[in-house]
Amino acid sequence: MKPTIVKREPVVDDALDQCEARLTEEEIEKVINEVIDKETGGRLWTYVNTCIHCGLCAEACHWYLSNDRDVSFAPVTKVKDTIWVMLEKKGKVDAAFIKRCSQIAHTECNLCRRCGMYCPFGIDIAYMLLVVRRICAKLGMVPLYLQDTVHSHAATMNQMWVKPDEWIDTLQWQEEEAQGYVPSARLPLEKEGAEIMYSVIGPEPKFLAQLLGNITVIMKVAGLDWTMPATAGWDNSNMAMYSGDFEIMARVERLHHETAQRLKVKKIVMGECGHAFRGAQYDGPTWMGWMKPPIPIVHAIEFYYDLIKSGRIKIAKKAEGPITSQYPCNVIRNAGLGSKLQYIMSAVCENFVDLIPNDRHAFCCNAGGGTINCGPPWKKLRVQSARLQSENFKRTGAHTIVTPCHNCHSGVEDIVDKYKLGMHVKFFSELLIEAMEIPEHLKPKEEEAE
Amino acid sequence: MSNIESWDWEIKEKMLAEPAKWKDQFEDVWEPYISPDGEKIASIVKIGEGEFNICVNGNTWEEPFEKMWYSRFSPDGRLTALISKDMEWTLAVDGVALEETYEYIWETKFSADGKTIAAIVRQESGYGILVNGKVWECPIKLESIASHVISSDGKTSAVIAQTVAVAEADVNAFTKGSWSVVVNGKPWKDNYVDVYGLAISNDGQRFAAEYRNSICEYGIVVDEKPWNEKFGCTWEPVFHPNKSDEITVPVRQGGQWLLATNGRIVWDKGFFSLLYQTYSPDGNNIAAAVAPQFAKWTVAVNGQPWSITFGECVQKPCFSPDGRKIAVIAKDSGKWLLVVDGTVLGKDYDNIWQPVFSPNGDKVICKVEKNGKYAVAVNGEIRGNDYEALWNPVVSPDGTKVMICGVEGGKYYRKVVLLSDI
Repeated sequence: MKPTIVKREPVVDDALDQCEARLTEEEIEKVINEVIDKETGGRLWTYVNTCIHCGLCAEACHWYLSNDRDVSFAPVTKVKDTIWVMLEKKGKVDAAFIKRCSQIAHTECNLCRRCGMYCPFGIDIAYMLLVVRRICAKLGMVPLYLQDTVHSHAATMNQMWVKPDEWIDTLQWQEEEAQGYVPSARLPLEKEGAEIMYSVIGPEPKFLAQLLGNITVIMKVAGLDWTMPATAGWDNSNMAMYSGDFEIMARVERLHHETAQRLKVKKIVMGECGHAFRGAQYDGPTWMGWMKPPIPIVHAIEFYYDLIKSGRIKIAKKAEGPITSQYPCNVIRNAGLGSKLQYIMSAVCENFVDLIPNDRHAFCCNAGGGTINCGPPWKKLRVQSARLQSENFKRTGAHTIVTPCHNCHSGVEDIVDKYKLGMHVKFFSELLIEAMEIPEHLKPKEEEAE
Repeated sequence: MSNIESWDWEIKEKMLAEPAKWKDQFEDVWEPYISPDGEKIASIVKIGEGEFNICVNGNTWEEPFEKMWYSRFSPDGRLTALISKDMEWTLAVDGVALEETYEYIWETKFSADGKTIAAIVRQESGYGILVNGKVWECPIKLESIASHVISSDGKTSAVIAQTVAVAEADVNAFTKGSWSVVVNGKPWKDNYVDVYGLAISNDGQRFAAEYRNSICEYGIVVDEKPWNEKFGCTWEPVFHPNKSDEITVPVRQGGQWLLATNGRIVWDKGFFSLLYQTYSPDGNNIAAAVAPQFAKWTVAVNGQPWSITFGECVQKPCFSPDGRKIAVIAKDSGKWLLVVDGTVLGKDYDNIWQPVFSPNGDKVICKVEKNGKYAVAVNGEIRGNDYEALWNPVVSPDGTKVMICGVEGGKYYRKVVLLSDI
């Protein structure tokens, strides 16, 4: 095979550089062969041997399209330059090669699975890149900020180094904030036997605490019996799934699902996050040996769909002007919630302007798959490679982009900033809280409102 | 449960409170808790803006507080709550708040007799454990406490704590180890990358935990000394009930889960998954939830899986007092089931709580939920009334009676029924 011509600006990532200096070829060979022999099987070999190198996957990839069809960004090139070499050389590769593998698999692919839809054989190319990530993770070759996030998961069972007391304290604070809108609102902690356990991702208590206040109001208005844990197990996110540290991924998911079982709830409702849904619904349970989560998990899009469709939440005043929405890959392409997202957007927006392409065919925000968690060193290339989606946003003429996913939210903010789109970026719950009707009996009394 | 012999096992039925009426008295009434002997029912109540109290059998504590949460009865029947006063937090017991206050306090735990009450606190000097009103003395600043355990005699408490401060994104410092175990304020000598699953022996003398030394290298450390063996992953260790030098742990090797005792693999079979290893009361047998294949869950006893499997999950197994029977809650096709010795008993339910056996093991009693109502089920079949709220049934020490506490028609009842009658 001809070597790929790769043109990249140099990026300094201390963790990768230090790992490159430390790794031995014996260690690399051992880990590659261990992973290939013991953690993969017919799936990997079928994919590798079925690919006819047609390159149709390239036209599906926003990295390739945003970088003027530079073939080094094509999905087929990403597997050609990583797992194919590992297999061909039976693991006899050097540390510089593993470093490049991490760059490709961790920082230049979102595992968004759009390429798999356009492969004539349906090859799940993202799976192969996840195998590459797994090998890199076992060798310690993970970009610095992604690894730090995984360390946070490992130490605290949440993504943002939130300490147990900070978590509870934040919930109690946001309960008070919610009571400013609806005085009788309550954020019930540790309520065994509640119908719903609501779980969120680490950035909510850390940076976006108002979202916890919003859900407290929404739950009250919808009249739902819900709770949140006051223990670890509250965070449904999982960057260990994306670094390739599957043991930590499983530990985090196990705790999340066991917390729901301990609280004896009927279902878990999770906030607006795509990768967290993937981890909690698919990857985590699969590693644990569960066909599906022991307690069913419902993504925010589906939850809001049910509330609006059933009339539990009524819309009083729709948001004005053109508004569009990002389609988070893990809940739209990979879980089929596209039409429900369109429904709730139309329900709360006067003028919902859909993206083209949309639904399962929509492009990734280019923050997903853990790439945004690789941090500042990799930001420039990441945002540059989201050019295509910036153009799609621009064509909508929207003043606001709704992102029912935390990674999308941060990634789209970067896109709006870089390409000077002049658009706001909001979570769906932020629109809903403005649009929904608060029944008279729940409103603050006049003197309280004053 | 403390002094269970002295509880009232004679009066067949007592109506002790009318919690439904509390809703008319207070702005908000939170979910109730009951004392272990069933004599008291309590709810945190909101009495005004920034004013909370706790209502026990219809009577409130003398003093309200700005905030209250985590109301829990101790095993000896004292009611505790975490309260905030003048923006500071502390513990209140039976209406009396400790004089000392803290920046924050959480996770109240009790000794078996209830005489020792412990909780985690944050204060200016770092994190610590409050034991009966006094915070541990610890020679180092604890940066965080992930969890704590207390011995059943209350004499010893231990935590998983961050013992070294690590700067943001300093992955090198983190991988050198910044977490350890602290016992009664004394930190273990070594730090680890991570520490999980801290367990304490029944005699309160020994401690075991999982640790992680690198991305995929896990081990077990017992009283500061790591096992020689390393594994690809581990789950929480469990002590033998009577021998504090025997520790059993699920470990992952070669892509499958095995059971190890003191570092040695003791079951000859590996599983796709293995969780919740549980010793029989005499310690002679071990049962665990296992998946021999993906999504086929069952219980293995001494390594031998039951032939019946369940598609969704199996929870922690429970031995009868004589150790001859095993009950477990399993989930299949969206419904919860009670399974005893490999046979499903009775009907399926929307929820089943942890079962208890009668002394001779012939009856398995548990709280179940069906269509939003709660009931007591014996061997999987509902017996008696539906309840709006219900607590786990308790078998009397002589094994002849069962205490059933629940709310019916807005009234809280404590009932004692003959085991032979249900």
